[in-house]
Amino acid sequence: MSTDGSAGGPGQPRGTPSHTPRRLALLALAALVALALSVSFGASGLGPGDLWRTLAGEADPATRTILLQLRLPRAALAALVGGALGIAGCTFQALLRNPLAEPYVLGVSGGAAVGAVAVTVTGIGIILPWTLPLGAFAGALAAMALVLQIARRASPGGMDTRVLILAGVIAGAFFNAIILLLLSMADVESFRSAIFWMMGNLSASGWGSTAILAGLLLPATAVVLSLARAFNLLSRGEEVAYYLGASVERVKLIAYVAASLMVAASVAAGGVIGFVGLIVPHAVRIAWGNDHRLLLPASFLAGTAFLLLADTAARIVVAPAELPTGVVTAVAGVPFFVILLMRGGRR
Amino acid sequence: MKRAVGEGVASADWRPVLRGDGLAYTHPRAPQPAVRDISLSVAPGRLLAVVGPNGAGKTTLLRLLSGALVPQAGQVRLDARPLHKLHDRLRARALAVVPQSESSPFPVTVREMVGMGRYPHLGPWERAGSLDHAVVERALDRCAAGHLAERQLARLSGGERQRARIARALAQEAPVLLLDEPTGGLDLRFRMELFHLLRELRADGLAVLVITHDLNLAARFADRLLLLDQGRARARGTPEEVLSGDTLEEVYEWPLRLVPHPGPGSDTGAPQTVPLRKDAADRAE
Repeated sequence: MSTDGSAGGPGQPRGTPSHTPRRLALLALAALVALALSVSFGASGLGPGDLWRTLAGEADPATRTILLQLRLPRAALAALVGGALGIAGCTFQALLRNPLAEPYVLGVSGGAAVGAVAVTVTGIGIILPWTLPLGAFAGALAAMALVLQIARRASPGGMDTRVLILAGVIAGAFFNAIILLLLSMADVESFRSAIFWMMGNLSASGWGSTAILAGLLLPATAVVLSLARAFNLLSRGEEVAYYLGASVERVKLIAYVAASLMVAASVAAGGVIGFVGLIVPHAVRIAWGNDHRLLLPASFLAGTAFLLLADTAARIVVAPAELPTGVVTAVAGVPFFVILLMRGGRR
Repeated sequence: MKRAVGEGVASADWRPVLRGDGLAYTHPRAPQPAVRDISLSVAPGRLLAVVGPNGAGKTTLLRLLSGALVPQAGQVRLDARPLHKLHDRLRARALAVVPQSESSPFPVTVREMVGMGRYPHLGPWERAGSLDHAVVERALDRCAAGHLAERQLARLSGGERQRARIARALAQEAPVLLLDEPTGGLDLRFRMELFHLLRELRADGLAVLVITHDLNLAARFADRLLLLDQGRARARGTPEEVLSGDTLEEVYEWPLRLVPHPGPGSDTGAPQTVPLRKDAADRAE
């Protein structure tokens, strides 16, 4: 049917997603700029000029090492984690028809963290690094199921938006307590690094964990993107989606699993970073509307750019020390959450 | 052109009869069945109106016929095919539903909303093509909603929003159309326009079932009526057969009188229900 596109004069109305590629290209460019900034700035005083010389092959070995062996892997990790959290947040919002849904607020990140910590404390995760995301995945799925059950039972006659968020936050607090309990057996130094990790820590990254993350994200992202149109239907309600031909239960199951996998992989690689999945999709919604065919990939790219910038800020605001990246996203995200909550309350 | 050809029993001119046989359903924890032993069929080129008091089981019946609820007894079929055996997308190409109401926290434009009707015709990676756009335009025009296409759905009036929702159902290009109280809360002109549209769709060969509280419009526009009371089919047949004073007074528990529509036009003589004063029945005795 794309072959008879010549008929397209009146048949190609405004408002169709023909501007989608341009907007995504714009965001990809923004993500690239954020990547360059992230590699250019840091505690060691090297700047954009050094990045330029490194790319041109004129930099000295020490500069090259700092940029390509220290900053670039970290930036790559931040880029992937940001993208995953952005698109996962958007997915949870579509599935739950809840603009406040987000992996951290729903407790999914917390569940993933419990899984990852459990694998680490038992020593399995240290011998076999790839079991870390597996443990996180199990934790994320269990957390999602638990929170949905609580919310469903606490709000008879349809799931109440605010009850769901409450259940997620409470579950998150519970998971935090469990993690601290598990860590109380650890020595002081691992306790300190674990606390950092619980607030989002992209620093201890080599290429290994980034490669695992990329390997898990690629298929999960492809699956979620293939459901974009079904998400559009679901956001009109499950009954409407069913009437329009969506296989509602199947779509929900696949999407929950894929989104939980994205969150688990991000948490395993970069710790618990909240509110990216809230801020990023909403910024895209406000700018470009709610068509998931654009919204999902745009949330990935914008999440990438956002977390690169947040991580750059985390590294330079208190240099030579650095902040956990999750602190920066929470400082930006909590006010954002409050504004959304108040807007919802007025409706 | 990668339409899921393997499913291709729904050719463009498949005009199935939607049939429900012996349908029964009791909601979880409800003391009474919502629908008990109801059989009906909606044929191409026919308009069936389902009427009855609040709580008579009309919406449950529609949800059974659309597959959203699975009947505890009986079966729904499209021609000879059991509805629940059809793949979801194939079902949505045969059967379009306009439910009573819907809402979303995420605003969409009318065009985006109507475009959703193309979902069952497109594969997961397939982009809407010029055919799909043309179908959406036609559906918008059909419902006199073309000028609303770029507006936000949430900003429309009730009648305009209803037209967009019906346009979305038409964009499914399904031969069977079910509507649940499409005129609820709409003013006189919207109600008349809507029933005129249903009459046109019926003339195009669609099988149309409409749930309505408006006995007078049902009497004028429907080929057949089904009167539900407490989950049972109380009466069925032509408007003249179903709309008898005694039955209606009993079902609605209100005194009323039936008068022929004064005309002019093809609706002349259709039985119009006039509710009387509560004490009118006593005084007549």
